[in-house]
Amino acid sequence: MSDDRILFEDVSKFYGEVLGVNRVDLSIPPGITTLVGPNGSGKTTLMNLMTGLVRPGRGRIRVLGIAPEEPERLFRLLGYCTQFDAFPRALTGHQFLYCYLRLHGLGHAETERLVWQALERVGMTEAAHRRVAAYSKGMRQRIKLAQAMCHQPQVLVLDEPLNGLDPMARAEAIALFRELAADGRYLIISSHILHEVDQISDQVIMLTSGYVVAEGQIQAVRSEMHQEYPMQVLVRCDHPGVLAARVFEQDHVVEVKMHADRKGLLVSTRDGERFYELLERLVLEGVINLESVAPADEDVHSVYEYLIGSEGGAS
Amino acid sequence: MAVYKRTYQPYQGPLTPAWSRFLVIARQAHRRVFDSRFLVFFFVLCFVWPAVCAALIYLRHNAGAIELFKINVARLIPIDGQFFFRFLGWQGSMAFLLTAFVGPGLISTDLRNNALPLYFCRPFSRAEYVLGKFAVIAMLLSLITWVPGLLLFGFEANLEGGAWFRDNLWLASGIFLGSWIWIVTLCLLALALSAWVKWKVLAGALLFGVFFAAAGFGTAVNAVMHTDYGNLINLPQLVRTIWAGLFGVRSTGGIPPDSAWTALAGICALCLYLLDRKVRAFEVVRS
Repeated sequence: MSDDRILFEDVSKFYGEVLGVNRVDLSIPPGITTLVGPNGSGKTTLMNLMTGLVRPGRGRIRVLGIAPEEPERLFRLLGYCTQFDAFPRALTGHQFLYCYLRLHGLGHAETERLVWQALERVGMTEAAHRRVAAYSKGMRQRIKLAQAMCHQPQVLVLDEPLNGLDPMARAEAIALFRELAADGRYLIISSHILHEVDQISDQVIMLTSGYVVAEGQIQAVRSEMHQEYPMQVLVRCDHPGVLAARVFEQDHVVEVKMHADRKGLLVSTRDGERFYELLERLVLEGVINLESVAPADEDVHSVYEYLIGSEGGAS
Repeated sequence: MAVYKRTYQPYQGPLTPAWSRFLVIARQAHRRVFDSRFLVFFFVLCFVWPAVCAALIYLRHNAGAIELFKINVARLIPIDGQFFFRFLGWQGSMAFLLTAFVGPGLISTDLRNNALPLYFCRPFSRAEYVLGKFAVIAMLLSLITWVPGLLLFGFEANLEGGAWFRDNLWLASGIFLGSWIWIVTLCLLALALSAWVKWKVLAGALLFGVFFAAAGFGTAVNAVMHTDYGNLINLPQLVRTIWAGLFGVRSTGGIPPDSAWTALAGICALCLYLLDRKVRAFEVVRS
């Protein structure tokens, strides 16, 4: 049993006859882990299972060695930010944090200190004494984030934390996530915004219809899919025609497309490693001069499209 | 994966005892209750009758006042079971109204805002949540029922002497027990309706409905079927029957006290069942 991971062992959860998640096995390391999947894929269920808010029908869950059935121990090290705007409307931001932090069992002085620390971290000190009901969507997201992290948890579970944030606030939130992860914490984030998932994630968990369809670092996931979905590489060079002729001789190359400006190629290959070796050789032999090389579909969006897009519909 | 070194320091300071955390909910709710001028006014109004009762007790024992106002002592209400039965009857009505003002929004607001996960993603259980909400009403009702009741009892005992205190100690237990029976019933009913109906106004209307419509229906059953068992769904009558037993006065309900106890216990059990079904971090969705 690993005490430095979040573990799911053969976990299933059904709501009556409705499937939440089925036969999930996961081992989540520190850093930023993003849950990706269409609506109803089981992301929130997975988060609720992790936080003990729903109990699995079968299987076992451990958060750094602690079972979710032990809330007194679990919530000392875990903070949860739900996707709902769940606020007692009459409270101010400060009262909101204060009141819920007291439920953790902290005394007045310590609570005040941690509340102001969290407010400062999410940039909400000036609005602290305004009522939550008067907050904008972005401010509500930030105050929710503050309530999840104000007791300094080691594990942060954040359900759609970037929703409703303007670009500036998103950038700030992402920087904050990075900062928190850099401290050695575990951040479990669900998101629909795939290009941001790419920016922030150390690893992703892709879900559809209650099943985990992929898990791990996105490059590793992508490389496992090369047989079914050949890898696409964009190459810009001085002699794309020559390059096209040479790569067509390779048995792992399945398609080559010439760019409209005839200065680049889009190559589909089932073996990225051999393709890059070939490219290297051609450059060393002076056959071509490279301008740029970049994988075209080694990102979350592409993997999502391949694995889920057709059946789940990206949302 | 990036390499992360654990550098943050989790909170390791002292904690309040786990049993006391439900009081956080009560404190927060009371602050909001007393933000309302109407509720403050009504709460003060609830102490008028205890003040009148205290004045009556004082008059009975003040020879100067009796002579000054030429009061016939024989015409003053005796301080006995009947006195405290009436006291509790009046204060019980005020307690019901106070519950109707405070109770319906306690859980319904959290349910409507999907706020329950906020409570349960802390070291805080469903039972503690319900206990916290229960304490919001129970503390207020205590202040207008058994607390002034026992103060009146103590006042009378102080004026009458130790013998009266010893002979009538059962009245004190009647005040305490009778008040708590009413408090528990009102709290559970208000919380169950608040949990069942997400709309605060409707929950409040339902609370009045449970009391008055059920009482009316019970009376109709009595009239049509020539029985008294219709009173089993008449909550005020049920509790009056129990109080009558506790204060040794004649009951007018016509139902045996053990039936009243059983019916009240059944209603409380039903309320607990409803709370158990509704107070969950997430609603179970079945297709």
